[in-house]
Amino acid sequence: MFDNISKDDEAMTDSAFVEVESVHFSRGEMEIFRGVDLTIPRGRITAIMGPSGTGKTTLLKMIGGQLTPDAGHVRIDGQDVHALSRKALFVLRRRMGMLFQSGALFSDLDVYENVAFPLRVHTDLPEVMIRDVVLMKLQAVGLRGARELKPSELSGGMARRVALARAIALDPELILYDEPFAGQDPISMGVLIQLIKRLNEALGLTAVIVSHDIKETLSIADYVYVIADGQVMAHGTPASLDTDRDPRVSQFMHGEPDGPVPFHYPAMDFHADILGSGGPR
Amino acid sequence: MIERIRHLGQQGCALLEALGRAGIFLGQSALGVPSREGFHLWLRQMHFVGVMSLAIVLVSGLFIGMVLALQGYTILVDFGAEQALGQMVALSLLRELGPVVSALLFAGRAGSALTAEIGLMKATEQLTSMEMIGVDPLRRVVAPRLWAGFVALPLLTIGFSVVGVWGGQLVGVEWLGVFEGSYWSNMQSSVAFVADVGNGLIKSLVFALVVTWIAVFQGYDLIPTSEGISRATTRTVVYSSLAVLGLDFVLTALMFGELS
Repeated sequence: MFDNISKDDEAMTDSAFVEVESVHFSRGEMEIFRGVDLTIPRGRITAIMGPSGTGKTTLLKMIGGQLTPDAGHVRIDGQDVHALSRKALFVLRRRMGMLFQSGALFSDLDVYENVAFPLRVHTDLPEVMIRDVVLMKLQAVGLRGARELKPSELSGGMARRVALARAIALDPELILYDEPFAGQDPISMGVLIQLIKRLNEALGLTAVIVSHDIKETLSIADYVYVIADGQVMAHGTPASLDTDRDPRVSQFMHGEPDGPVPFHYPAMDFHADILGSGGPR
Repeated sequence: MIERIRHLGQQGCALLEALGRAGIFLGQSALGVPSREGFHLWLRQMHFVGVMSLAIVLVSGLFIGMVLALQGYTILVDFGAEQALGQMVALSLLRELGPVVSALLFAGRAGSALTAEIGLMKATEQLTSMEMIGVDPLRRVVAPRLWAGFVALPLLTIGFSVVGVWGGQLVGVEWLGVFEGSYWSNMQSSVAFVADVGNGLIKSLVFALVVTWIAVFQGYDLIPTSEGISRATTRTVVYSSLAVLGLDFVLTALMFGELS
């Protein structure tokens, strides 16, 4: 009997939780996605990586339903995110958590109230239980002692941990991490890596990490998509990407400054520019 | 030439689009089932936009009333009609100066603060994170502010006019020596409740809606950078002031146009 359950669990973990199908998106004249396809399996940590400005955060916002693609579909647990009504979208979002790069804590509430916010608006729990849940979540991120501080009194790393506690307050099924490691000192970085890994293991969360911190992301990701030039350039397990021979993938994975992705922004010939034939500026 | 016409057309389209966005925005935020939580949020905003604006509005009301009495007296005394001072002060305040000046002060004090506050919440991704938590910021952040402004400004206008009438009495009666009985009784006999007090209040309600709507929409719709916030705050004050003065003319023509 128990064997059956574990097999079912296995099947559940391998099914797709988020599906992104041939998504196209432009901002003004600039084409950001030209047919992106991704599958994010349930219960795993999937990383979306790529150079800055390739639209990783845009993709995350599309999964969260904040941006609508020009063409293509995003499905979460079988529901087309962009076909939902505003109300249904907000209901779906209760099953997701998102960790913003800036933390995005509510500046008029203290740490405790920030974590309690989702519980207060979405549940009818009595105050005693809200307190217990908030303290448990704060304990998980190591900031139970900071519950009375205001967001302005927190360091960047602490703010992100509080934001993480808030994102998991309602025990979501899917959590989206936007650049969780950017601008963190080595200790905060280590803490965050451990937290993300532990949350995934302990709660079986489906996690999507958008990042360009290769070493840290690869250390916890189960599967990686590399996005560049508006398309998925490569995908695979961290080990397979590490040995990928594609020069573009290799340049990104090994952090080489110049290669197929040029160091210079497109510009006219340097000599001609310096000698002044390029106009006043 | 063609280029100019094209530019004009583009601007026209952009304006219409912004108006449409603002209309949908108003509908989505203002309409909805009131809740207990919403009432608490509204109460907090009433304190922020109403109570905190009380000092500037009342002090201004006092001075405006005093100046009205002083100016009115110097003119009326030439015709031996200084007994009509109370009537003049009260009608000017109730019909025009109360609603208009309160709305202008409110746009400067509370409107700009609302724009900056919502704009900063947008710039620091607080509105986006609220959306991701599954809470609609239009209902949670915008609606209480909109309703608070709509209720607070008419109340502030009443305060403004009351203090103004008292200021007029201070100068006219206490200082310049107009007979107290005629100051109050002329006022009482000439001010009609519906035509003067009622119309003044209607004006105030219209201004309250327009000023608060402009303020919250500018905050919600701005480009989330420091320059964007500064521009939107300025736009709030400029658009609100122009809208108040323009609408005041339209409303006055509709309400009092036939008096002449």
